[in-house]
Amino acid sequence: MTDAIAPPVLSAASGEAIAVVNTALDRRGLERLDLLLLTVEALAINGGEVMLWATQQLGYESLFPNRVELWKRRCTNPLRRSTRRTALTGEEIEALIRVICAMADRLYPMLHQLLWSREPSALQDQRWAKFDQRLRDLIGERMNLRRGSVQRLLETESSSSVQRQMVITLALAAGAGGVDRLRASLQDPTP
Amino acid sequence: MFNLSYRYDQTAARLMVEGLPDISAGHGQGVIGILSSWKLQFVGSPELEGKREHLEAMLATVLPYARYLLSGVARPFGDADSPVSLAPADNGGHQLELRSSKPGVSPLTIALDDAELADLVRCLDAMRLDSRVQIAWADQRDRPLARRELAERVPLMKRLAPSVMGGSALLVVALLSALVPLPESKQPKQEVVPTESAESPGNAAQPVPKAE
Repeated sequence: MTDAIAPPVLSAASGEAIAVVNTALDRRGLERLDLLLLTVEALAINGGEVMLWATQQLGYESLFPNRVELWKRRCTNPLRRSTRRTALTGEEIEALIRVICAMADRLYPMLHQLLWSREPSALQDQRWAKFDQRLRDLIGERMNLRRGSVQRLLETESSSSVQRQMVITLALAAGAGGVDRLRASLQDPTP
Repeated sequence: MFNLSYRYDQTAARLMVEGLPDISAGHGQGVIGILSSWKLQFVGSPELEGKREHLEAMLATVLPYARYLLSGVARPFGDADSPVSLAPADNGGHQLELRSSKPGVSPLTIALDDAELADLVRCLDAMRLDSRVQIAWADQRDRPLARRELAERVPLMKRLAPSVMGGSALLVVALLSALVPLPESKQPKQEVVPTESAESPGNAAQPVPKAE
């Protein structure tokens, strides 16, 4: 895994003007949204700062003027250690989805490396182990470990499949059509 | 008029489209409105090429497959008659199958891993959303999946397990309770109360002393 960060060129994933879309998510959607942001942080060195920079590049300074405000919005995830009851507005949800897609676009070479089966398996194992450790650290630091679904994220058996699903989600959310695909996926009903 | 050609490159996939502006639709120079051919190349696989209908079939198969995969549902798209089909492979990858419209040509199967699939999706997305390629593709709007479709990602045995366990537990409890003997019904003792005459002693007519 390379820790280099791509050159600072960011725009709306589709290359078009960002339309204001009022997006609503249920509890499970909010959990997935925050977990994807956490995955981005685990993949990118200094991910929190890069994410804040991405919000500014996408024109969301008014929604997330500083790190604290971005942090507060992310704490609407019910699985957080310090969860907030204030609901996210549709505009905030849409902004976070676009931030994830823009970050996924920047991290795409790294996502590709993780998913490419033609790489030597020893190298792949090393990359996944590093990602696994960083994601575990972040989950342990930020999430409520008494919740069953958080414990499942840390269990060795189930965590690898969840992590792979998160990386595939980011890879398919990167690129021109990624925003619509990710938004629709996050709006799936709870089965 | 020059034939236009645009290329969309990713690490493991390259898509190239060729065509001409559609003057009747008012397209300017540099815009492909009529697609004459396309080529798709994966690293280590033979080059694929076809006409517009094949590319349309590719879009209609690969993009919904990716959409479902994003929700954790790996299900096949494209049946045996369609020019393109994509299905999850046993090794965890994906199997892209292309069928030629020419008779006697056997289908071509390409095994893709997750990274190659993501590359293909990015190439297709970049092409269909490119302002230089103005072709009326079929509507590919992404929508949330139905609850029924999401249930498919849970294996059938896992889905049925709670019902089977619940039913079994109920059956066991019913059998055990059938084995427990019923308690004997005890009739409440009826004490024999001597019947008294209708006239109570207090109400008995007192002998009236005779007046002497």
